[in-house]
Amino acid sequence: MLDVLEPLLFALLAVMLLGSGLVVVLADRITTSALFMAFAFLNMAGMFVLLGAETIAAFQVLIYVGAITVLILYGVMFTPQGARPYGLFFQRQTPVGALVAALAALPTVAVAFAFRDSPSPLPRGGDLSGLAASIFTDFAFPFEVASVLLLAAMVGAIALVKRQE
Amino acid sequence: MTSLVPLGAFIAVSAALFFIGLGGVLVRRNAVVILMCVELMLNAANLAFVAFSRRLGVLDERGSVFVVFVFVVAAAEVAVGLAIVLALYRNRPTVDVDEVTEIKG
Repeated sequence: MLDVLEPLLFALLAVMLLGSGLVVVLADRITTSALFMAFAFLNMAGMFVLLGAETIAAFQVLIYVGAITVLILYGVMFTPQGARPYGLFFQRQTPVGALVAALAALPTVAVAFAFRDSPSPLPRGGDLSGLAASIFTDFAFPFEVASVLLLAAMVGAIALVKRQE
Repeated sequence: MTSLVPLGAFIAVSAALFFIGLGGVLVRRNAVVILMCVELMLNAANLAFVAFSRRLGVLDERGSVFVVFVFVVAAAEVAVGLAIVLALYRNRPTVDVDEVTEIKG
């Protein structure tokens, strides 16, 4: 029973993830794109749970599904949409862009399937203790630098959109 | 008990999602949609990081640590990116990247 469940769950998540990714790229309405992006992020969180990275999955839901989706929806709200709904199919770059992406994708996906071995099982207790030990010992300095990066991004975003008095 | 799904399947899904995002960045002309596609690409890279971290996983969680840093950079990137889009829209009323040619050589 359990032997069938995990590959089945993986297949379901993979189909929904790639399908909603395609909808993000192909949809005409930008709100459709934004909501399917959130759905893709949720499916990605499911993938992380399947891999045994529950903490990363929780971060994924908090940061991507929560914060970034809301931020993108604010961007949709503040900018005019629907000026060129036909833009996807009637422009010069589309064939070239799709060709470049497909040419680069084919060998990469072929190489990806070459990894035959299975992911290792987790030690008991999930990934939280290992993650915390790594962040606060080996990666303590990059962790602090990341906080400076976030502060700089916040100040930069405010400075960019501030109205000139 | 080891996982029943091979590592290659996770990596293949990650690569496929990455190139869906890349195609979106190359094809779409709306700046906000381009930001969304960049987020999809970053997320695909996260899946590869976590999968490979699982492969070497009994040692430590370094791959997952990199995922945390990717989260930080993605949050900073989307905040600054949207600020740029809004500043652009304030200067001229468009979010179409084809029509923004002021600093084109």
